[in-house]
Amino acid sequence: MESGSNAPDKASGQEVSKVLKVQNKMGIHARPAAMIVRISNKFSEVDLWVEKDDEQVNGKSIMGLMMLAAGHGSELRFIATGGQAESLLNELEDLFSRKFEET
Amino acid sequence: MAQAKLIESISVREFYESFKEHLQLDLVAGERGLNKVIREKSLNRPALALTGYYKYFANKRIQLFGAGEMGYLRDSPENKQKSILEGIVDKHIPCLIISRNLVPPPVMLEVAEEYRVPTFRTPQKSKDFTAEATVLLEHKFAPRTTLHGTLLDIKGIGTLLRGKSGVGKSECALALIERGHSLVADDLTYVKRVAETEIVGSSAELNRGYMECRGIGIINIAEMFGIRSVRLDKRIDLVVSFHEWVPGTPEERTGLEENFYNILDVDVPHVEIPVRPGRDLARLTEVAALVQALKRMGHDSAKEFNERLIEAMAKK
Repeated sequence: MESGSNAPDKASGQEVSKVLKVQNKMGIHARPAAMIVRISNKFSEVDLWVEKDDEQVNGKSIMGLMMLAAGHGSELRFIATGGQAESLLNELEDLFSRKFEET
Repeated sequence: MAQAKLIESISVREFYESFKEHLQLDLVAGERGLNKVIREKSLNRPALALTGYYKYFANKRIQLFGAGEMGYLRDSPENKQKSILEGIVDKHIPCLIISRNLVPPPVMLEVAEEYRVPTFRTPQKSKDFTAEATVLLEHKFAPRTTLHGTLLDIKGIGTLLRGKSGVGKSECALALIERGHSLVADDLTYVKRVAETEIVGSSAELNRGYMECRGIGIINIAEMFGIRSVRLDKRIDLVVSFHEWVPGTPEERTGLEENFYNILDVDVPHVEIPVRPGRDLARLTEVAALVQALKRMGHDSAKEFNERLIEAMAKK
């Protein structure tokens, strides 16, 4: 977890980010993507972006997440700003470590 | 859902009045017995009973006399014909039907009158008659109930709209009718299970083709939109439930999960649509029905897309 002092200064909160590794065999297909947006959409105050290689997508868009085509072993950087950004990232971390309840 | 109603029996009168045209029934004797009841939705050929073997005799069913039974009677000595027939009517059968317009011997009509057993003739052959009558009886005996919901035919997909009063079912139905789909029942749908996995819905006769629309009142759909916009009955292929949207409502995002709504022990595909300002419910319902139509033809968009994605990830 990092929280830079040079992050964009938003009234709603600071930018926080976390790198999460895809550990399930099939990668971020429709079901895991749906699980991610189910969590991120609970946090209406938080803006969430997801980076992989040089692509960045909105973390509340299921289609965007799937278009990253994040297979097994790939690393995603989740960048969140706004109130409760950290709790959102913690929930996502937990979801990734549970391998999206897959193998 | 209201309590499901099971039909245990129907009277011969109801059978006759409902199907006399369809099955070409001609009542030739035993009119006084029309209140007898049919307690099984099947027909019996009483050939063995005619020979005197009554074990397993299906006396709750309609007794169908075809060429075989009538030939056996005709070839029996006249004094025996009466005792054969008395043996059968003594078993409390509901009625007799003679196929191929075969002419009953006078003793058959006498026994029918005396024992008050309705006796009919039909020009149909036994095998055709059995097939037709069995289907009609299945419908008469089908378990039934009523549902709060509006039933539409959307390009062949019978779609039942559910949701609380005022959520927008009627407005949605109206928009779909304007787009050329047809109304089966508004607000109150009568359903019955006509086969193991088939539910058919229809309207009450009284309000068929009419709809109530808040702010406008009762409108006559057939008159306003033409006869194509109403339909008598339709198999229910899809249930669409509207819910008032509140933050945090879980929503289906991928379409990979299959949900079902149980109607009379049949699982019907079910889609839940959260209602939010600015959402075009009619358009969403139409698309949900088309997705269902595609699935029936073996195309599952969500599954196909996901397979593409998984394949693309595996290649990397």
